[in-house]
Amino acid sequence: MFEEFVQHLFPRVVREKDLKIAYTFCLGGMAFTAMLLLAVSGLLLLFYYQATPGEAYRSILFLESSVAGGSYLRALHRMVSHLLLSLVFLHALRVVLTGSYGGVRERNWMTGTGLLMLSLFGAYTGYLLPMDQLSFWATRTGMELLAVAPFGGAVRDLLVPDGVGMPVSLLRFYVLHIAVVPGAMFTLAFVHFFLIRRNKGVLPYL
Amino acid sequence: METLDRSRRSVLGAIATAAVSLASLVFLGRFFSPRLPGKSAPLSVPKAEIPRNGALVYRERRVAVIREEKGYHAIGLECTHLGCTVAVTPNRLVCPCHGSVFDRRGNVLKGPADRPLPKYAVEDKGKHLLVYM
Repeated sequence: MFEEFVQHLFPRVVREKDLKIAYTFCLGGMAFTAMLLLAVSGLLLLFYYQATPGEAYRSILFLESSVAGGSYLRALHRMVSHLLLSLVFLHALRVVLTGSYGGVRERNWMTGTGLLMLSLFGAYTGYLLPMDQLSFWATRTGMELLAVAPFGGAVRDLLVPDGVGMPVSLLRFYVLHIAVVPGAMFTLAFVHFFLIRRNKGVLPYL
Repeated sequence: METLDRSRRSVLGAIATAAVSLASLVFLGRFFSPRLPGKSAPLSVPKAEIPRNGALVYRERRVAVIREEKGYHAIGLECTHLGCTVAVTPNRLVCPCHGSVFDRRGNVLKGPADRPLPKYAVEDKGKHLLVYM
């Protein structure tokens, strides 16, 4: 049954020229691989992270000093998150340069834009979680910037009701980062692949 | 030769899968057994703070350092019945959960606990005592 499901992800016919690496550079596929890596490493990090202002940074120190592979996993999660953003941007650039965003593909361009926004938002929410000086001030300035935009004040109050670095705000960023954003991203990614298949595009995973 | 070829490939695939699964399991086993704090470092206790014929209680570390006429000894405060932290009274140690009572040496005076409390080695370092837990 699993094999049948995988088979249905792939088209019945593939044109040989679509398989050339220079056709897509496999950027979307690599971005999806980065998402999978983030999910796996993030799941393991969840076992040690504590989302309270007092314990967050200490739990990171504990992870780095006392857990086998802890600092490796954390570095992996961080670096792959940078990689994901780069790949998503390059993927968008490739789509623009090959002109494959119009016509029947316009809806998929929209889902792709959504994925880009969600990647950025996921990176932003994850940035606060270690609760070191860098996270704290970066998030604080980000929230001040947001407040300048129209309706930004309301959004800020929704994201950080008790101020950056306070318990409820940290918990909101945490839940957004580990549940809401990844859930939305994987859902949207599968819509993205489905639309490629329906638009008779290349293999979903290439 | 076709079938032979395919079976060799599937055997190699199975070996590779087993190797990767084993390596992942070893990694996860190590990942989920962190070095916990306070297991190895001995507790340093200033002698002057222990009252004569009294006890100094470290609730977080779950140990009491007891001073008697002859010398010092350290007793773990984890009840041998179900693991509650035992309360130290002037001449007894009483478990608040199920009423076990121990004497100042950790021996059982009243159940439900049926084993004495653990005794830790104490080393005299002049002004300080080192308790090895």
